[in-house]
Amino acid sequence: MFSFDTLSILFLLFLFLGIVPNIFYSFGYLSHIEQKRHYLLHYFAFILSMVGVVIANTPLLFLFFWEIMSLTSWQLILTDAKDEKTTTAARFYFFMTHFGFVFILLFFLIVSNGDVSLSFDQLQPIAKQFAYPTLLFFMLIFGFLSKAGVVPLHVWLPYAHPAAPSAVSAMMSGVMLKIALYGFLRMILEILYPWSLEWGVTILILGALSSVIGVLYALAEHDIKALLANHSIENIGIILIGIGMGMIFDTLQLKLLSAFAFIAAIYHIFNHMSFKSLLFMSAGSVLHQTGTKNIEKYGGLIKKMPITAFSFLLAAISISALPPTNGFLSEWMIFQSLLGSSSIHDISLKISIPFAIFALALTGGLAIACFVKAFGITFLGLHRSTNAKHAKEVNTLMRLGMILMGLVTISLMLFAPFYIHLFNDAITAFGWSNVAQRIVPNFWNIHSIADNGGVVSPHILLVALLLITVLFVIGVKKVGIKKRISHTWSCGYNTNAKTQYSATGFAGPIRRFFAWLYKPQVHFHKTTIAGHTTKFTTALYDVHIKPLFETTLYDGTKKVLNIISYYLYRLAHFEQVRYGAIIFNLVLSVLFGYRIVAHQFNWSTFLVELFILLVSIKILVLGDKQ
Amino acid sequence: MIQYLIFVATLIVTAPLFLTFMKAVKMWLLYKKPVSLLQGYKDFSKLIAKEVIISKEASSITSIAPYMVLAPLVLVLFFLPVPSSNSYYVGFVDAFTITGLITLSTFFLMLLGLDSASSFGGIGSSREAFISALVEPAMVLVIFSLSLIAKDLGVAKAALNLNNHFPIKHLASFTFAAIAFFILLLAENGRIPVDNPETHLELTMVHEAMILDISGFYLALIESASSLKFMIFATLFVSFFLPFGANLPFLFALGLFLIKIAFVSVAVAFIEVNTAKLRLFKVPNLLGIAIIFAFLSLISYYILGA
Repeated sequence: MFSFDTLSILFLLFLFLGIVPNIFYSFGYLSHIEQKRHYLLHYFAFILSMVGVVIANTPLLFLFFWEIMSLTSWQLILTDAKDEKTTTAARFYFFMTHFGFVFILLFFLIVSNGDVSLSFDQLQPIAKQFAYPTLLFFMLIFGFLSKAGVVPLHVWLPYAHPAAPSAVSAMMSGVMLKIALYGFLRMILEILYPWSLEWGVTILILGALSSVIGVLYALAEHDIKALLANHSIENIGIILIGIGMGMIFDTLQLKLLSAFAFIAAIYHIFNHMSFKSLLFMSAGSVLHQTGTKNIEKYGGLIKKMPITAFSFLLAAISISALPPTNGFLSEWMIFQSLLGSSSIHDISLKISIPFAIFALALTGGLAIACFVKAFGITFLGLHRSTNAKHAKEVNTLMRLGMILMGLVTISLMLFAPFYIHLFNDAITAFGWSNVAQRIVPNFWNIHSIADNGGVVSPHILLVALLLITVLFVIGVKKVGIKKRISHTWSCGYNTNAKTQYSATGFAGPIRRFFAWLYKPQVHFHKTTIAGHTTKFTTALYDVHIKPLFETTLYDGTKKVLNIISYYLYRLAHFEQVRYGAIIFNLVLSVLFGYRIVAHQFNWSTFLVELFILLVSIKILVLGDKQ
Repeated sequence: MIQYLIFVATLIVTAPLFLTFMKAVKMWLLYKKPVSLLQGYKDFSKLIAKEVIISKEASSITSIAPYMVLAPLVLVLFFLPVPSSNSYYVGFVDAFTITGLITLSTFFLMLLGLDSASSFGGIGSSREAFISALVEPAMVLVIFSLSLIAKDLGVAKAALNLNNHFPIKHLASFTFAAIAFFILLLAENGRIPVDNPETHLELTMVHEAMILDISGFYLALIESASSLKFMIFATLFVSFFLPFGANLPFLFALGLFLIKIAFVSVAVAFIEVNTAKLRLFKVPNLLGIAIIFAFLSLISYYILGA
């Protein structure tokens, strides 16, 4: 029923670290929720279901807890269902999560031969007998990675996460997405083990795409929680780059590098949980005080809410992968595993992997731009609205939640060697060699496994940075500089909130450079008097960006479904002859399917049958045009 | 160890000198009377004596950020490859850490620009974010390629490897990496095709716009940070791409190193005199060239090595 192997225990630790600060924060937030009982019931059921997913050892239990997790989080999104947007987001989430569930169910039905009460370790032999392992792999991609928010199945994230209460968005983005990755990892490690090279490459490409697209849409976003949700897509992409490299190295028999890449990916899973939860919590505090999610309405909050501001700053530095934070360490490890690609012998693969490095580095650069924007516009400068002016620091419980999560983030940096040993244990349980001693031979350094790899030491960097800063500060005290307070110089005009740089303006150059991808809809309203501009015209500049995949993939699918349903509607009004024809066609298709599955496949019969099928559809089913 | 400390001290002391030297060369090329080489030190001492004016609109970030801009760059100085092969060096730090530390400094500089609620600061930060986002991939790819050519990712060891045994077989790859890195040197230090460090026309500037509201001692910190940044990039350039002379006795090696840095400064000055500043939206084209050369460097390495 339940198993407590090292991977499960590792993720139990993960849940513990992610959930405890969240509970404090959530109780601080509780007074602002109307349906308290509804919220608490679903909140704790959500937590328990995630614990259940992590320790479940049979497909039945796994599916049960997975479904509870989906349903409770769906209900939590609906906690404050006052406006149309929230219900739409919840509906979208409900659809997407069940879209994934269908594929997970199919996967389990195939690999367990229908007996869903077998335990996971009994499933591998059955999975091996299945003739099309790639099909199973794609079921995993659709099932788990749609939940984790991988491009192009990511579109629900920027809708669902902002709609939920902040504690829940922190939990969903920080913890639940990683539970989906846990499911993916367990399935590929335990059930679908001998991988083919193409799978790793697929995951690597999906990861690279997700990371770049996630950060690009985050940059263009004005809703602070949607911005963070888009960053989750980016970080899931980074994790998948690590997993993909691990899979590629494993299929090429580079076991050590493979273990290193997997450890890097799991480390980034932990890190992303810590700083993304922290970011969502502090964004939630800001939202709680100002009552708006629009980043253009904030400004100057660091003076009123210092603890929130500094926890946001800590998380922002960490997510931007700047040394010596934990985000830097895991991204460094992922870079090192990508550098390990120089020991691959396949030249075409060797030349392609630098493109993943390029994607990851571009992501890093854009993430920095994005977090300078998020932190700078929210917390620095002048208040951009009266709401921001009257904001004050949040209550003790919420502050405590943020501080605890900040401590988790710092501990992931300071005790990196300890955590790496844990990740290593989880991997060795699945037959990888023990590399922890090579990565962290002592408490100070993290080494790379690659031949020409490097070394990094968070402690030395941190201590040296602090030491230099302290020396400077002492020097300044000794010299004794004079300070004078005055207004910001702005060419003789008054400095006011309206003349500051806005978030839209900040992202302007990047948005313009990537305009071919964004395809922004720009609205420029100008009031004129009788068609003439006057001295007193007011102007409004407005940019909207609809995600690329939403306009093409999703709206396209919607159109195709509409067309199909139109024809189905027409079918429903047929005479009896055509029902017979439809049944005939269905039987033929089932026969095809059976032959393909049972390996009685033959191109000539396939062509003949396809021809019969098409002719019968044309003549008997569709008939003449009316 | 003493040689190592002398080297770091030399870098700190000579940093303003080379920026002034570059300015002097430019003025000489333009038939102007060159500025005194001590001008950098004079400016510095003048700034230290002045009082700091802190903006009423600004927050605590304004008093934290100048230190955080300077501290990572000072830290990087200790990790740079030394000019002489016999002296002590910090061998374990790899190029990613150095890039990360430089970016940490830029991160706080951008926050500083946004802090004072002036629109010039915002304009500067926004442009800096745009440029540094595109610099990042080229930088990482150059590092990757260099780590392969020099057989080590740790910068100090890589520089020594190149000095002791130069892989003549990978000269093509090496040259491509050098071109890419030189473009990055120009872009990251705000030199002319990307940004004009001397102009005070707000619409064209990047680096200066971010620090318009900083004065006195804080400005001195930021200015020394930008001169140190030039020294870091120039040191990396000369120790990777002009890798010779490390086996000489220490003082000769240090002298040769300074001559090489002066050579880089003259090259930058020549480029600055002969080109106009690019429009902001043409800058990605230049950085695109850097990215492409970095890719070429990697691909030619693999093809020649295969």
